[in-house]
Amino acid sequence: MSLLLDIVTTAAILYVVALGLLIVFGVMGIISFAHGAMLTVGGYAALLVTWAGWNPWVSLPAAAVAGLLAGAAMERTVLRPLYRRPLDAILATWGLGIVIGQVITLAFGRQVQFAQSPLSGAAVILGATYSQYRLLLVGVAVLLAGAIALVLHGTRLGLVTRAVIANENLAQSLGVNSARVRFASFSLGSALASLAGALVVPLSSVDPNMGVPWLVGAFMLVLLSGSSLVSMAAAAVVLGAAQVLVSTYLNAVLGGMTIAVLAAVILRVRPTGFARA
Amino acid sequence: MHNKLTAAFALSLLAAPAYAQAPIHIGVPIGLSGANSVVAPSVVQAAELAVAEINAKGGVMGRPLALDVADDGSGAAGAQRAFDSLVFQKKVDVLISMETSAARNAGLPIVTRGKTPFIYTSSYEGHSCNRYMYVNAWVPEQQEAPVIDFFLKDKSAKTFFLIGSDYAFGRGMLSYAKQYIEAHGGKVVGDEYQPMDAGDWTAIISKVRAANPDALILSTAGGVPNVTLTKQYRAAGITALVGNLGVDEGTAKTMGQDATGIYISGSYYTSVDSPANKTFLDAMRAKFGSALLTPNDLSVPQYEAIYLYKAAVERAGGTAADGVVKALPEVSFDGPRGRIQMNTQRHAPLTMYLGQVEADGSVKILQTAKDVDPGEQCPNLK
Repeated sequence: MSLLLDIVTTAAILYVVALGLLIVFGVMGIISFAHGAMLTVGGYAALLVTWAGWNPWVSLPAAAVAGLLAGAAMERTVLRPLYRRPLDAILATWGLGIVIGQVITLAFGRQVQFAQSPLSGAAVILGATYSQYRLLLVGVAVLLAGAIALVLHGTRLGLVTRAVIANENLAQSLGVNSARVRFASFSLGSALASLAGALVVPLSSVDPNMGVPWLVGAFMLVLLSGSSLVSMAAAAVVLGAAQVLVSTYLNAVLGGMTIAVLAAVILRVRPTGFARA
Repeated sequence: MHNKLTAAFALSLLAAPAYAQAPIHIGVPIGLSGANSVVAPSVVQAAELAVAEINAKGGVMGRPLALDVADDGSGAAGAQRAFDSLVFQKKVDVLISMETSAARNAGLPIVTRGKTPFIYTSSYEGHSCNRYMYVNAWVPEQQEAPVIDFFLKDKSAKTFFLIGSDYAFGRGMLSYAKQYIEAHGGKVVGDEYQPMDAGDWTAIISKVRAANPDALILSTAGGVPNVTLTKQYRAAGITALVGNLGVDEGTAKTMGQDATGIYISGSYYTSVDSPANKTFLDAMRAKFGSALLTPNDLSVPQYEAIYLYKAAVERAGGTAADGVVKALPEVSFDGPRGRIQMNTQRHAPLTMYLGQVEADGSVKILQTAKDVDPGEQCPNLK
């Protein structure tokens, strides 16, 4: 029973962490190497909320706002001039990630810090004692995916965004301001990344490199799922299950490599991954 | 012009005790960056205090001490550079340092080649032997027995689950723990390792839950793995006794409520109640003021080692390596941790404390074991 819960919650965490990256990749066609740093920004937002003595739940909106602002600023100043040069843009996000990491180190120091967790302790579910917070994350993942699906399919912004994802040149020729779509989606992706950073704080430590371990899993997930929310859910469940099963039945050291290896194998056999499965 | 120079010279004479002779150079290769960067500055502070105290009282045989600190990046590659430059370029008289096991192992061949005495001041996994090296910090034999004995006898624990980071220290500590537990009637129901930078303990925690042990023994690298593991088993509602071999007083303090109730063991806590410790803490506060980093089980041995070196040089009648190496086990120093003498196969018997972290983050000392023997560390070394 707890194995099943491990798989579901691991998949949910992967999903939440990769969501921001998926939005950016879907619209802009670039993998943002600043994603890990944006997770870290969210972690430190949670830390500031703890220092201020506010309710730990406040850290979630605080992180999202911090990510939104940072993402908007990065898009305006650095990424926008590089849209015609996607490789340079990817390199620029890498640089931005380093800059953010160093600024955080200068401001907060190198050491591990502690932010308060909004929910702690265990609950009994289906006869197993399990971490309440991990269970909560499953709900959060579903909620976030639902909200984004609603925006994409139920609003004007979503419509033009989907148009840009499908064919940017065609959308432009029809009068869509694709620069604005890119701006909105990079900001939103950054906000989601920081929100995810605050969400993983109760499982993780807060330090200038806290985003790095999550980055690989998120990359792989996005590579496997293209730009679809549904295929990413499938990828999250498959990769999460593989990691948990290998860690449980073989050993944890191998479990840590499972996601990267399995993703490489899947892409070799089926280059589209889970997209349009 | 000449008068001015004389005046300046006279002033400098007034400012500090005069030394007619060249200083004795102490090389300190240490992890100012990388994994040890959190603790290393406190170790450097302790070394600075020892040197300042000794120089204020006339130095060693009329010669002042000088520190040469070199960053080893906490790893093997950095250590090779740091040891090389200290031993062969700066030609230091001695190396006194707290380092990771990886850095120590990388530096030892250079120590042998340079024939430089080396006092290693970090607790470690044991059984590292070199003709020029002495150790004044604890090894598993000294640190683990108090925790495991306490769990077995006072808490009637029978089953143990071991979790560690996958590197020399983590593996070494836990293989000793396993052997000790089984030799004393306990049963190890599981042992699991994760890479040093791992932060996701999901599967291992589920295994712990399934095995339902009476006690957990943790030996992870400091920082991220330690913190994430503690947070995650707490959230999972695991209520077994927890002995954490890799956490120090400072980290326990910052972990807050997650650390409450865990058992730790070491040879130094700031709460050690002795006149020598009080004098030491007062001197540290006076020297560093608000910049003081909390003295700890890695920085205090560094302080004591410098005094041990001083005593050895005075006994040998000079800094020549062979004389110092021969004299080091014969001298002792009464420091914050009590009397330290490195006379047991290059290691030192130490007074060990079993502590429990309280709700406010302070460490309550539950038991004290005097002069715990380090056991057979280097039986083949003469």
